Amino acid sequence: MAAFPLPRLRGAGAFSLTEFRVQVHEGIAIFTSIMTQAVLLIFVRILAPPLFEIALLGSLIFSVFTLGQRVLNEAAYIRVDHRLNQLYLASPLTPDSYFVGISVGVLMAYSLPILLLVAVAVLTLPFTPALVALLLSTGFAVWVFTSSLGYILSTTFRDMRAIWSQASILYNLFGVLPPVFYPLYLFPSALRPVALVLPPSAATALLQASIGAVTLSPGEVALAAGSHVVEAAVLFAFALYWARRTAMER
Amino acid sequence: MPVEALLARDVRKTYRTRNAPEVEALSGVSMVAHPGERVALLGRNGAGKTTFLKIASTLLTATSGTVEVLGHDVLSDPDAVRPHIAVVPQEGKPFFHLTPREQVYTYLRSRGMDRPTATARTSEALGEMGLTEVADRLSITLSGGQRQRTMVATVIATQAPVLFLDEPTIGMDPFARRAVWQTLRRLSRQGSTILLTTHYLDEADALSERLYIIERGRVLVEGTAVSLKQQVGGSLRVSLPGGQPLVPTLEGFGRVVTDGTTVHVLIEPPSLTELLNLAVREHLTATVGPVTLEEAFLSAVGHSIDED
Repeated sequence: MAAFPLPRLRGAGAFSLTEFRVQVHEGIAIFTSIMTQAVLLIFVRILAPPLFEIALLGSLIFSVFTLGQRVLNEAAYIRVDHRLNQLYLASPLTPDSYFVGISVGVLMAYSLPILLLVAVAVLTLPFTPALVALLLSTGFAVWVFTSSLGYILSTTFRDMRAIWSQASILYNLFGVLPPVFYPLYLFPSALRPVALVLPPSAATALLQASIGAVTLSPGEVALAAGSHVVEAAVLFAFALYWARRTAMER
Repeated sequence: MPVEALLARDVRKTYRTRNAPEVEALSGVSMVAHPGERVALLGRNGAGKTTFLKIASTLLTATSGTVEVLGHDVLSDPDAVRPHIAVVPQEGKPFFHLTPREQVYTYLRSRGMDRPTATARTSEALGEMGLTEVADRLSITLSGGQRQRTMVATVIATQAPVLFLDEPTIGMDPFARRAVWQTLRRLSRQGSTILLTTHYLDEADALSERLYIIERGRVLVEGTAVSLKQQVGGSLRVSLPGGQPLVPTLEGFGRVVTDGTTVHVLIEPPSLTELLNLAVREHLTATVGPVTLEEAFLSAVGHSIDED
């Protein structure tokens, strides 16, 4: 055990596999997780075919963004309903590993339907190495951000019913309202900087620009990319701090 | 000087919440558990047992005081404590979508245990808890008692040096409870220290080598079950439902403890015949039995353990 390279993340791999096993038993929930995106894509394909590529990229980012809602629900469920957080936190598994384990386990389970969307994207989008790299990097940053946000928020709830409704509002508000599924140029220009700092819409703005669907100034690219990376890094660091702090109730 | 498994000094805990009065859950609890000892915390609902257990197991901060587990300060260095402990949380449930085998095995793996040891310990713990037949069924299909046994199996499989169990046998049938007691005795013989809270007086009596009675956040009494029963003041208990009007007379026989409408008189055997004659004359039903921990608890706290 002493040889483990990241002592604070010792046990995270095993715990993420635990979470993966727990999640995969909910097969229907996993595959219905892309239902909204799939329906939306069908509508766009029928009603506005030129926007299909943008909507497809948006659905990929939105699918990753909603992983945070799964983390929120799962972490809160384990804590509020099962009280299993006590079993794991009062053990050699560090609070860091507990948070990362839940996030990675959810990612592994919910990657399967996202891969279906990726398959559609491969068939329909003009994939270049640059677009692949951008999709992977923005997707990773959104995942880090949203998982961190989900875990932090999960610690603030005491009632599962409140979680379901409020989490749904939050994730739809930031995942659907900004230009994630639709082009940035349709968003009110006065609010454009807001869209470029919100992680899901910042990611899709960069992706939309990379396929030539929208034009971003160098400053806007820097704002979208910079805020994207900084927000993910800052929130991840805060989630680690918060996981340690909340491991011991006050 | 040997390191104590648990050493708590003057632990206080005050819950402060917005728009609500402060609640002092612990008002200066001190206790010790020696290595390999089985210690029970006994008390009514809300007495402070779970609060203390959560503080000692690194899950809750104390307002003041110190707690050491195997020489490590729980409050300032919880990371040093956690590798040495395992906790059965109160009302904890296993993952519904894991089988008991998966629950125990994956928990051991997340603690850093290697695969062969985790596999062997999982089978052993499930066997001891009588879960072998249902080991590969999803926990969601199990009864409440089987789920609770899964939680206990998960923790005993760790063989951690210090085990905290909060109401470990709640919802279990008598056979399962005895299986848990037997396993905990084995683990303590092997060197693990067991600290458990319980609501069951017979459990504390049968299992603990020493116990603490906690009431309103304070330790009222500490000792062995035998010593506590001896302090009660008699070896026989005569229970007289509806005997309150006779209390002044009954006090002449021995110590009198009231529990609702029932009066318990704690006496030595020579007084028994005379007391039973009195009960017959007064048309009262009398039940005679040995003094149990229940009388000791009632005598120390002034209320039955089931009274809120």
